[in-house]
Amino acid sequence: MTCAELDDRLDAWVDRTLPEAEQRDVESHLAACPACREQERRLRQLLAHASALPRSVSPPRDLWPEISRRIERERAWSWPRVGSWQPLLAVAAAVVIALLAVVLRQPAPTPAHTVVIPSPAADTYQTQPAAVHMDPALAAMERDYQAAANALLAALQERKDELEPETLASVERNLAVIDEALAELHRALEKDPARPELGRMLVWTHRKRVDVLRKMVKYSTAL
Amino acid sequence: MEGGLAGFMLGETPIPTRFDDERRAAEWRLVQDARSGDLQAFERLYRDHERRVFALCLRLSSNPELAEELTQEVFIRAWKKLASFRGESAFSSWLYPLTVNVARSERRSRMRRLARVFPTDDVAAFEPPAPPPTPETAFDLEKAMAALPPGARAVFVLHDVEGRTHEETASLLGLAPGTSKAQLHRARRLLREALES
Repeated sequence: MTCAELDDRLDAWVDRTLPEAEQRDVESHLAACPACREQERRLRQLLAHASALPRSVSPPRDLWPEISRRIERERAWSWPRVGSWQPLLAVAAAVVIALLAVVLRQPAPTPAHTVVIPSPAADTYQTQPAAVHMDPALAAMERDYQAAANALLAALQERKDELEPETLASVERNLAVIDEALAELHRALEKDPARPELGRMLVWTHRKRVDVLRKMVKYSTAL
Repeated sequence: MEGGLAGFMLGETPIPTRFDDERRAAEWRLVQDARSGDLQAFERLYRDHERRVFALCLRLSSNPELAEELTQEVFIRAWKKLASFRGESAFSSWLYPLTVNVARSERRSRMRRLARVFPTDDVAAFEPPAPPPTPETAFDLEKAMAALPPGARAVFVLHDVEGRTHEETASLLGLAPGTSKAQLHRARRLLREALES
């Protein structure tokens, strides 16, 4: 064995990972070569120094205030905790229902041409109400929102193992609230299909539903 | 958490003790409180682990100011990912790969920034060469480690300072085991040369 060959094996030798067949050759070379013995001694000394280094070092200043400030800022803008976003959805749904009550007190305008759209695909958490009569543009918009929601629900379904059961339960509860608001709007539209306020509220509520799902998918992806 | 049987240990199985079980249970309670939004509980976890995380960030980055930023980033990411900690291992074992990952991500993004200025396919070209050790400088392992090329330094820190196996080191750094061994060989050779001087 040459000195270069020993150098190639020195790491494995001191790490005790050298195959048994090669150990004898290394031992023989080290016994006969003072230069390589010196290299071995230096390597062992280096490894002793390295393993004796302290594993803990105090930061020169307290880093917590900045960490806590950034977490608070994240909390204000993101969707990380069940408890923090649940009231927002409840408020959103309550706003829809309250607006609906106000709108329904107004006199109905002249009915417009209506079409029947198929019931949106059933999703994981909540089925949509039965087919309703509404303006074609509004019907198309609703189909688009429903398609987006279904895609997000499918993504969420794939990642549901990443979410805590209580988070999933909360998603289901909040989607149920939104779906109830949508069902209410559909019933109102069945009676007064041409009311523009109802259409706007329907779009707004669908948008909120998609927003909720998008945030949940984003949150589950970040885990 | 300072060293200890339930500390940053891989590669050998610590013998479980009642103390470990109690500490793990207390830590799990803190994690659960933090997951429900209790920032004070998370601060307790931070206080228990900041020194280990900072030491690792310091050695991987060899830059005290950057190590502070990396430590902050580690705990912010830990907060966001707390739901993925199931309590099946010590919190420190969960935090360790996260720390290495944050340090690696920072290095990758720094290289991308450099690559925009100096386009080349050779990523290793961006690693600063190890400066020749000066004879008048007394040997200081920390200083010599800081002067290593970043890839070799990371492998040396994880394998020889932190005591990880080759497989763990390679996995944590996203390297093939052979590459990890080659980097370790390079780091040890450069450090021995520094020691000789």
